[in-house]
Amino acid sequence: MSAHDLALDVLVGAAVAGELLCCIGLVVMRDVYDRLHYAMAASAVPPLLVAAAVLVEEDWTQPSINALVIAVALFLVNPVAAHATARAAGSRRG
Amino acid sequence: MNVWLWGATALLLGLVPCGWLALRASRVDALVALQTAGTVVTLVLLLLAEGFNRAAYTGVALILAFVSFVGILVIARFMGRHV
Repeated sequence: MSAHDLALDVLVGAAVAGELLCCIGLVVMRDVYDRLHYAMAASAVPPLLVAAAVLVEEDWTQPSINALVIAVALFLVNPVAAHATARAAGSRRG
Repeated sequence: MNVWLWGATALLLGLVPCGWLALRASRVDALVALQTAGTVVTLVLLLLAEGFNRAAYTGVALILAFVSFVGILVIARFMGRHV
């Protein structure tokens, strides 16, 4: 196994493991605000790891740039969605 | 099967907790589950595009990331109004 293959395996494996841990954390937590923490973690680190893996595989081509745009978009817009969700949760609580 | 397709298949398991939460918990919790499911499916589409070596398919994942965001905002706004 070359260093390139090893890097791909580690990056994709870490991304999948991180995402699955966050999904399990959603179920384990009891409060909506605690669950939002896991939802944000799911949209922050794993997409960047997947984008890094695509970058390792493809170099600076269209798929890797698309993957980077997706990772940055998820990183930037999901906190806005989390804020809206938290506001909705707060208004439902009164 | 390559590492991308294995990763996409494993990542699909993440939809099970999200679906369970959406079915069993409150509506706001279901919204959080929907948000996470959107992220999971976006990554699955990205991994599948890479696994099948189809660069054009990454556009689908890109569009889903934004459509999912808009959908969450609309539903959250609707929930906030109808307490």
